[in-house]
Order: sequence, then C-alpha cells, then structure tokens
Amino acid sequence: MKETAGITRMKRPSSFAWGKFSLSLFFALLMFFPLYTVLIGGFKTKGQLLSDPFGLPQPWTLESYRAILGKSGVFWGFFFNSVFIAAFTILLVLVCSMAAGIALSKIQFRGRKVLFNYFIMGMLFPLSTAILPLYLQLRGLHLTGTRFGVILAQTAFNLPLSIFIFTGFFREISKDLQDACSIDGGGILTFAWKIMLPLSAPVIATVTIIILIQSWNQFLLPLLVLDDAKMYTIPLGVMQFQGQFTTAWNQIMAFITISVLPMAFFYFTMQKYVVKGLTAGAVKG
Amino acid sequence: MTWVSPGHIPSTVEDEGRHYIMKPLTAKGKASFQKHATILFLVAPAFILFTTFVVLPVLQSGYYSLFQWKGLGPLNNFQGVGNFIRAFKDRIFRIALYNNVKIVIFSLIIQLPLAFSFALLVARKKYTGSVFFRGLYFFPYVMAEIVIGIIWRFIYHPQHGLPTLFSQWFTADKMEIGLLGDTNLAFWAIFIVVCWKYIGFHMILYIAGLQGVPEELEDAAVIDGASKVQVVFHIIIPSIRNTIIISVFLCIVGSFNLFDIVWAMGQGGPVHSTETLVTYLYNFGFKRFAFGYGSAIAVIIFLICLVFNLFYQKYIVGEAQK
Repeated sequence: MKETAGITRMKRPSSFAWGKFSLSLFFALLMFFPLYTVLIGGFKTKGQLLSDPFGLPQPWTLESYRAILGKSGVFWGFFFNSVFIAAFTILLVLVCSMAAGIALSKIQFRGRKVLFNYFIMGMLFPLSTAILPLYLQLRGLHLTGTRFGVILAQTAFNLPLSIFIFTGFFREISKDLQDACSIDGGGILTFAWKIMLPLSAPVIATVTIIILIQSWNQFLLPLLVLDDAKMYTIPLGVMQFQGQFTTAWNQIMAFITISVLPMAFFYFTMQKYVVKGLTAGAVKG
Repeated sequence: MTWVSPGHIPSTVEDEGRHYIMKPLTAKGKASFQKHATILFLVAPAFILFTTFVVLPVLQSGYYSLFQWKGLGPLNNFQGVGNFIRAFKDRIFRIALYNNVKIVIFSLIIQLPLAFSFALLVARKKYTGSVFFRGLYFFPYVMAEIVIGIIWRFIYHPQHGLPTLFSQWFTADKMEIGLLGDTNLAFWAIFIVVCWKYIGFHMILYIAGLQGVPEELEDAAVIDGASKVQVVFHIIIPSIRNTIIISVFLCIVGSFNLFDIVWAMGQGGPVHSTETLVTYLYNFGFKRFAFGYGSAIAVIIFLICLVFNLFYQKYIVGEAQK
C-alpha cells in the first residue's frame, strides 16, 4: 500500500493508473472470493471440500455434476419450472404492458393521465406488503400450488415498471410516422404492429432482462404459492436440496454453479441491457 | 369502466357529434365506438391483472390489519389498532424493526461510501481492466439472494469455514467459530453478505451519475491546486447529489424489504436475533395463519416505505422543477 501511495504522488499518468489498478484488483479479489469458492467447490470430492475448502481441487472431479444432472438428478425439474415460469411471465408482461403503453401514449382519451398514474403508483408497493392477501386471493382463485399462480402474481407486480418504460418510449415515437400510417389507411393497431413493435426491440430486450432476472431469482412468492416440490423453482430447489443434503456441500456447490450459469451468460453477453434494465427502476424520478 | 367516456373528442368535432346524437351508427359514432373498443382491448388485460393481484391485496392488507383472522370464515373479530399495539409490544417485533434500522444506518455509512469508492476507481480515466472490474463488482447483484445466502453459509461454516480457518492460522487451539450461530455476531455476518450483494448496484448508479460530471472540471481543479480529496468532496459529490439521494432512497426501501438472504442464512435465527420485518411477517403472520396480525406488519412496512417514497418524490420532483 505504501508503495502505491508513493507512486501516486509522482502523478505520472501511467503510474497513477497502477495505483488504481492494484486497489481495484484487491477489491476484485475480495468480491470474487465467494464466487471462486462455489466454482471450484463443485469440482471437488466431498472429503476434499471439507478438508481443504478454499484450495484448488486435486484431482478435479465431475462426480457432483453427474449426481445432479444425471438421470436421478434433481436439477432438471427445478430448471424446467424456472424456465416455464420465467417464459410465461415475460410473455404476459410484454403483451400486457406494451398494449397498455400504446393506449397510454398514442391514443387521446379522457382519464389517460389518471390511468397512467394508477399503474405507476404500483411501483410504491413492495411485494411484501401485499403478500398475505395475495396468497388468499390466489387461494380463492384455486391458483395456489400451481405455476400459473406464481406467473400471474409476478406479472402483475412487474407491470408498473414495464408500463412506465414502454409508455415513455412510445411517447418519443414521432407523431409524423403515425400520421403517415393513418394516411395510408392504417389504424392504431396496424401502426403498433408494423412500426412501433420493430422500433421497440432494444426496450423489449431491456424489459425482458429485468423480468427474467427477477423471475429467476424470486423466492418469497413461489415459497408462498407452491407447496409441491415437483413445482419448485431453482431458488426453492436449492434451499430444499441444501436442507436435505446438509453435508453434501460439493453437490450444493455444483447445483449453485449450474443454476447461476444462465444468468451469468446473459449478463456477460448482454451486459449493456442488463445494467440498463436493472437500474431502470432507479431513475423513475 | 368509467374512464371510457365519449368526452375526449376535440370540441369542434364534438359539436358536430352532438348533431348526430340520435343516429349513433353514423361514421363518427362508429369511429368513436371503435376507438373506445380499441382502448379497452389494449388496457384491460394490464388493468385487470394489476388491480386483482396488486391493488386489491394492498387495500385488503389495510382492511385485514384491523381484525384478528385466520384467513378463513367471516371477519368478525374486530381489533381496531389492536394488532399494531400488539406488534409494538412484542419484543421480537422490536428486534426485527431495530435490525432493519441498523441495516439502513450501517449501509449508509459503510456500504454506500464503499460503492462510491468503487465507482471512482473504475469509472474515470479508463485503464486496462477497469471495465472488467466493473462487471465483476456488479455480478453478485444478478445472483439470487437465496443462492448467495447458501454460498456464504458455507464460507461461515463453523468447522470448515473461513473464520475458523483464520483463527486456526493465528492461534494454536482448534477453536470453531460459528458466526451464524452467535446471537451477537450473526447480524454482522449477514450484513457483510448484504453489502457484498448490493455494492455493485450502487456503484453502477454512481457511475451513471459521474458521467454527467465533466473530467475537465476535475482537471481544472487539480491545476488550481486542489487535492484529490478536495476534488471528491467539493466537486464530485455536490455534482452527483441527486444520484446519491436516489441511491440512499433505494438502499433504505430495499433494506426494509430484506428477506431472502436472511432466510437462507438462518430464517431470522438464532433465537430471532437476525429477524427483519419481512421474516417476522412470514414467521409470525403466514406460518401461524395469523392473517390479521401479519397484515398489520405489512401495513407497517408499507407506511415506512411510503414515508421515504414521498420524501424522495417530493425532493426529486422539486429539484427537477427548479
């Protein structure tokens, strides 16, 4: 530390970057350490993981991955449920919020602002404040214990932010385009389908990623709604697996690694959209 | 739905419309009907879902909170504010509230300044690896809290975990350190994890804010003889004040809704020492089918968030109008 401070004072641009670099690297190692522990943990035998939890595997083994992904493995069921729930939530949110966004941005009608504010108000409500009556509501509709219970509730809670984003984006689409379209005889729906939809691709990507990550990581809602382990999503599955095999930490690590992989893939390939999406709620003002 | 009323047409056209009021099937009447049908068609799905699963439950929370109720049968055991009084009289509820407040305070004085430092480290004057570091710092935010909680449970493992390993390096005896089993230390063990997860998120907010501060401004100050510290406190921080307010606000509201990490690391235990408002809501409301009492807790969480939300909206909107 002393050394880098000395170099910093010299104010040579390259050496200054070195000071920053070493400090960043130090923090990076701290931040990376838990990830490293999981990554390598899955490749160890149980005995090795417990005797040397943080060292490199010797030898590397795929035993725990085989146990989890193999024929009797528990992973695929949870994976399917997570994908199923995420896919339908994304689809429903996109359809509902884009449709509402079109009306709220491109059609003049009385009460439009009130209706917009009604939806946006939803951003004030954290899920936890509604969770008990929500459970009763779903029970009343016979949706408890079903994946669609989770899907519908998740969709509803994702609508405010999505409607906010889409309405804001649609407003920016030029009125001239709409006029040109209507001169050619196209109504609002034609305009939406032929012009607005293709223009919205980047916004759709952003919203999709927000919902995907939220749905993939959601725990409280499926915990309340789902009661059969066959329906469990990955977060519930990990928790249950961990409770059942308390000492099989190598398998738990392998389980965690594969469950995070899809998100890691999205994150590193579409980082721009992910970061934009996850901070979108922050700039609502 | 009352908002679909025919009063929207620009006045000149409307006057014309009145003329035809007895003949609704004219071109204009038809156009108007078509328009309202379109609006209904577009808005109804979102409106129905949002009302059924968000607005109604929130309102019901408020109503149920006034009763003692098991979630079945008629609501007839009216309590008034009894549930709220019961909550504040409960020692465990007070622990939960106190824990939430502690998380907020220590996040504000440890987590956010750290996140700000991270942003300063990687946002300005690009160097090899700065983009990579940024990506790495943010990554925990993408992971499920439950998964994070379980990973850290292993790191804190009483027999094989890091604290025990450290103590065995530095002392000769085979002492086992179980942070999560200690009523005094478990809170801090969890707090570290919360910081680890959310630092990257706040860093990204600050980086976005820093983009609005021209680097020339800093360079000019340095030429005028300002130190790095002075630049940070007199130029950077005042320039990103709004970002800081947003970050503080999100940190507060997020802290009051903390559940998954705490749940994964000990479900509020040991002996309720790490209970938060939402774990309390789950443990004492849902698990015991005390829907009235649980709803009262939900209302308390809602009111706390609402207060900060109103402050925030007023401040940010007020700033924007200046």
